[in-house]
Amino acid sequence: MTPRQSPPAATARPRVHLPWAALKPVLALFLAERWPALAGGALLAALTVLAGMTLLSLSGWFIAATAIAGFSAGTALAFDVFGPAAAIRFLALARTGARYGERLVTHEATLGVLAGLREQLFRGWAAPGAARALLARPARVLFRLTEDIDALGQLYLRVLVPAGAAVVAALAAGIALACVTGPLAGAALGGGLLLLGLGLPYAGARAAYAANRRRIHAMEALRARTIDLVAGQTELAMAGRLPAQRRRLIAADAALAQADHALNRTETLVGAGFGIGGAALLAGALLLAGWLAQSGEIGAPVAAAVVLGTLAALEPFAALRRGALELGRTLLASRRLAPRLAPQPAGVMPLAPPAGLAVRLSRVDFRHADAARPAVDDVSVVIEAGARVAVVGASGAGKSSLMALIAGEAVPGEGTVEAVAASTLTQRTELFQDSLRDNLRLAAPAADDAALWAALAAAGLADDVRAMPGGLDARLGEGGLGLSGGQARRLAVARLLLRDTALWLLDEPTEGLDAQTAEGVLSSLAERAGGRTLVVATHIRREAALCDRLLVMAQGRVIARPVRGEPGFDAALAGLRPD
Amino acid sequence: MVVETAPAVRRPRPKGGEGVAPHGRLRPAPARASEPEASDPRAIGKRQASIGAALQAAGALLFIGQAALIAYGIDAIAAGAGVAALLLPAGIVLALGVLRAGLEAAGGRLCHHAARAALTALRGRVGLALAVRSPLDRERPAAGLAASAIAEQAEAVVPYLSRFRPARMRATFVPLVIFAVVLPLSWAAALVLLVALPLIPLFMALIGMRAQAASEAQLAQMGDMNGFLLDRLRGLSTIRALDAVDLTAARLRASAEDLRARTMAVLRIAFLSSAVLELFSALGVAMVAVYVGFHLLGTMEFGTWGGRLSLGEGLFILMLAPAFFEPMRDLSAVWHDRAAGEAAFATLDRLSMPGLPLPGADVVGPEPRAAAPAPGVELRAVSFRHAGGTAPFDAFSLAVRPGERVALLGPSGTGKSTLLALVAGLAPVAAGEVRIGGVALAPETAADLRAGMAWIGQRPHFFAGSLRANVALGRPEISAEAVDEALTFSVLGGVTAGRHGIGVGEDGAGLSGGEALRLAVARAAVDPRVQLVLADEPTAHLDAATAAEMTEALLTLASGRTLIVATHDPVLAARMDRIVRLEARA
Repeated sequence: MTPRQSPPAATARPRVHLPWAALKPVLALFLAERWPALAGGALLAALTVLAGMTLLSLSGWFIAATAIAGFSAGTALAFDVFGPAAAIRFLALARTGARYGERLVTHEATLGVLAGLREQLFRGWAAPGAARALLARPARVLFRLTEDIDALGQLYLRVLVPAGAAVVAALAAGIALACVTGPLAGAALGGGLLLLGLGLPYAGARAAYAANRRRIHAMEALRARTIDLVAGQTELAMAGRLPAQRRRLIAADAALAQADHALNRTETLVGAGFGIGGAALLAGALLLAGWLAQSGEIGAPVAAAVVLGTLAALEPFAALRRGALELGRTLLASRRLAPRLAPQPAGVMPLAPPAGLAVRLSRVDFRHADAARPAVDDVSVVIEAGARVAVVGASGAGKSSLMALIAGEAVPGEGTVEAVAASTLTQRTELFQDSLRDNLRLAAPAADDAALWAALAAAGLADDVRAMPGGLDARLGEGGLGLSGGQARRLAVARLLLRDTALWLLDEPTEGLDAQTAEGVLSSLAERAGGRTLVVATHIRREAALCDRLLVMAQGRVIARPVRGEPGFDAALAGLRPD
Repeated sequence: MVVETAPAVRRPRPKGGEGVAPHGRLRPAPARASEPEASDPRAIGKRQASIGAALQAAGALLFIGQAALIAYGIDAIAAGAGVAALLLPAGIVLALGVLRAGLEAAGGRLCHHAARAALTALRGRVGLALAVRSPLDRERPAAGLAASAIAEQAEAVVPYLSRFRPARMRATFVPLVIFAVVLPLSWAAALVLLVALPLIPLFMALIGMRAQAASEAQLAQMGDMNGFLLDRLRGLSTIRALDAVDLTAARLRASAEDLRARTMAVLRIAFLSSAVLELFSALGVAMVAVYVGFHLLGTMEFGTWGGRLSLGEGLFILMLAPAFFEPMRDLSAVWHDRAAGEAAFATLDRLSMPGLPLPGADVVGPEPRAAAPAPGVELRAVSFRHAGGTAPFDAFSLAVRPGERVALLGPSGTGKSTLLALVAGLAPVAAGEVRIGGVALAPETAADLRAGMAWIGQRPHFFAGSLRANVALGRPEISAEAVDEALTFSVLGGVTAGRHGIGVGEDGAGLSGGEALRLAVARAAVDPRVQLVLADEPTAHLDAATAAEMTEALLTLASGRTLIVATHDPVLAARMDRIVRLEARA
């Protein structure tokens, strides 16, 4: 139920400021990635345009010159036809070659830039603060991300290259005319082309910016409402709200259509502007040629070249019509991605505790952003090396925050955290669309197959993997598809076993497993833990029973610390979930 | 009661003839007289689109007039005419340009409007099909899949309809007209164009066959690349926990570079197809230019219908040569729009296919009515069959008295959740009858009957938005005070103190399992008309303390109401008036 309303149709249009500054980190990344290819692509685009212009104006000149020469047999014989004719054929081939090269180079450069962009963004999102934000709203952020990467990929192809080619065309036309007639006419033509060719798309980009933003929001609303309709169908049906939700879906599409129409109107206006401006330039070029011919400065062949050259110079500007709309989309995408492209602050690792201790927390406070009360409130804990401790308490008591503090994933607001290097078995089993081997080697990049098999055997998964087609090379689907819940958890355990750290942090290690599987996972963990320190966050009895000490948490505080053998220990265990 | 028009909802006929359906059985929804949405969305606005495409083609043809005037002007310059003689041709060139821009703009707008209307109709149709498909239908598309099909993929329909089709029309007519204009002037020049043009589609087809497959492969790989990044971002907490950020970043980079290399190998061939087009159009222009030049010079006297071309005629032909190829180039630039558009149509058609119906899903606004007394529930020889043919139970009968609290107890796979869903009318029964308060559950009655029920599922869906909105679910009859009371009742008020009104994350991020269930209880408690509460595994996935708390909340909620609980929790079942054990079927 998105409370967000589609914006009212008739609002006073505020002054649009295009966020050019957001482009800076993106352009910097582009240039750092492969500026030679980027420049080469633009150069080839310019060459294509120049070849096209020269082809048409030379042809015009050639026809007019031959027509004049053809009036008398004498001049016709003296006229060198083969030079221009060869040049025309050469230009035709050069134009084709340059265009082919341009497309190859620009696409290769774009793919290269996107590769760099993906890596940078991944690193950006992997920074501690950003990672948490990502986990809070994954689907929406991830959806935006692909859209934004796509938009940035268009920046070079659809905006920068056509704009560069158009500028080259305008300058070339201006300079060529200046050579023939003098600087004034040249400046007028070049300036006119530039003004038209860059001014119109700029105006279009400004006009499209707000509509682009509305479009993105409407698209996200459409997505969210579709997800709500399908995933929340039972709730909606029971509340009698299915037809209403369908209307909300249609309303989101209506908002989208409104933005689409606005964008199409802008694109159409820019296109019509190009058409009218181009016709005016063409008419002007004809008059200019006539005037120059009248004053005897040029003959008919040059006049033909001037007019046809102008006709060809208009061609590259047509590509900017789409570029204008893309620019708005690109600017929005840059603004959203820019924070992730900026250098990320390095995470703060916990200090090392004194010898003999694995973890020491002293009066630690921790608060989630915007939270009313702290998630961890004045907690002091000492865990000796080799101890096995379970952190128990109701949901929201602060167990996960405490684990994050020990792992160095969260930075305390107050107090100090000292801990040895830890490996975490996260609450959710996250496996990747990759081979089993690479899923395992995430934990230990240098491990050989023997080490991987040993870890699998210890986790009780070796037989299952041997039975899979491909063994270690078997590929997993999305979210570990192809493995059962129990197998996936064992794989996660195998990954943990590959990490040689003195402290294991286990966050609900057997949640969602049936009793028999859970028993197996827990016993392999207990066996392989050896002398390591274990901290287990749990609300299941069988997991807590692995430990000799409990930390009972409530509302961010540790309210009891029973040790095995004390009556409070068994009472606390009994309060946990039995299965 | 208003019934919105909908495609006829069909129910799979129960297998085996069991005679006449007993009165009140779930019947197929009555066929409706007019079904505009069932018509092919491809046909929507077709007339408008054709007019738009024709306007665009007419605009493109105006260039012939511009070219003629420019050629005339240069001819005049060559003949020594002054600038004054050029004023009229220049003025008409401008006027034609303005007219052309206007025609193309108007045509483009018409095409866009028509295409956008078709997209809206498509989305409406798919939305309806998704809404009326039972949640028990195992072949129902997943939410994420449906969302990306309806949102992004469907967008491909607009460029297909608004750009590809007009381009195809221009490519069909404009070259023909230009050919017809050039032919009376010079058959040789017309021949050059004629030879070049059919060669283009031929070569394009040859190269295109590989290029098409190649570009599809490239698109798929780009999708893979995005998938790779998203997959790793979803597992970011694990990657951080394993200290594998650098490793993963390097792999991401390596696989993107690898993709680049493979894609480029594909593109080298794919771009050949457009290079051929470029080559022939450039060579066509060059050959026309060279021919006209030689002809004017007197070296090639042939090629006209007697006599020699004038300078103006020569220039006119020259300028028409690029315009002859232009529509073909436009068409090739939007060629991939067709494949994407057809794919979008196919996906949306698939999503619009009828499946197991959700009875009464298309009924708008059951009449608000006063709270009725708690109803009894009667299941008479009820059977249900999943699409795969598995039947969790057969001819099951059960009578629940008004106000009674009943537990359906059994291990998973015994169909207790399915039974509960049948009571809620979330799917039609294959045989037998469900009666609630004496009223038989049928498509016409289902929405009304559901208004008196509440559903507490084991994993309630969270709608994007505030907690309060998640309780009210947009029901107009539910007041803000009622929401406050429900939040207090379900102890959510206390738990969420300090984040009142703020958003619940996607998938309920920020809420624990217990809080999620409390929200479901609040949704039920907020509606005073609810007299029958159906709870599906309410205590699964909860710790003992929370489970006990939720049991109490459920019993309080059920006081004066009828309650049916499906569970495998013996503690919860023991608190009910009666336990109905379901056995696993062999």
